[in-house]
Amino acid sequence: MPEAPGPPPAIRNQIRSLRFHHDEMTQDELAKRAGVTRHTIMALEAGKYFPSLLLAFRIASAFHTTVDQVFEYTEISAPISSS
Amino acid sequence: MTDSEKWARWTLGVIALTILAWAAFVAFLGNGPAASSVFALLALAAIPAAKRRAHHRCLDERESEISHKALLAGMRALWGAFIGLVLATGFLKGWDANLTVPVWLLTSAIWWAAMLILAVESIATLLLYRGTHA
Repeated sequence: MPEAPGPPPAIRNQIRSLRFHHDEMTQDELAKRAGVTRHTIMALEAGKYFPSLLLAFRIASAFHTTVDQVFEYTEISAPISSS
Repeated sequence: MTDSEKWARWTLGVIALTILAWAAFVAFLGNGPAASSVFALLALAAIPAAKRRAHHRCLDERESEISHKALLAGMRALWGAFIGLVLATGFLKGWDANLTVPVWLLTSAIWWAAMLILAVESIATLLLYRGTHA
């Protein structure tokens, strides 16, 4: 059964801002530190891709911060109803 | 452009050339075993490229996800084509009919199936790299 169309997932990230505050770290440098390609960093910054938990931790580690400082989840969809 | 996108474009190009060559062969030689020789183009150009990509790829989690989704799309297309062919044959020829097909037609069918998988996989790869889920 296909999923009902709903609001877009509200996971936002501060990667671009954090790169700026870390001596204007390049996407390529962050990609190398996180072990992904630059295209993936670009997709993350554009909000086109949501990383795995492991990658989220790697990115946070690259900025020497915590995951919640990089990624933010806003609950805008309806809560799951209990049956 | 990523390596996967380059592979997808290359593969689509080879498939387009193969179809053009097949159409030319059929026009001059008729639809027979001779026309099937054009699939050598696919065998020599697209399939080795796909194998190289599979053996030498260095994909991160996003690219790996795209690769799996694209392959799944190719397999789904093949399954859909198979079911469609079975149903069409059954309804058109009758479910009790006997079919006699030459061997070259069977081998051609395998090549067309490979081409379908590669084409759908390539298109899906290009779309997923531009989509919001990738």
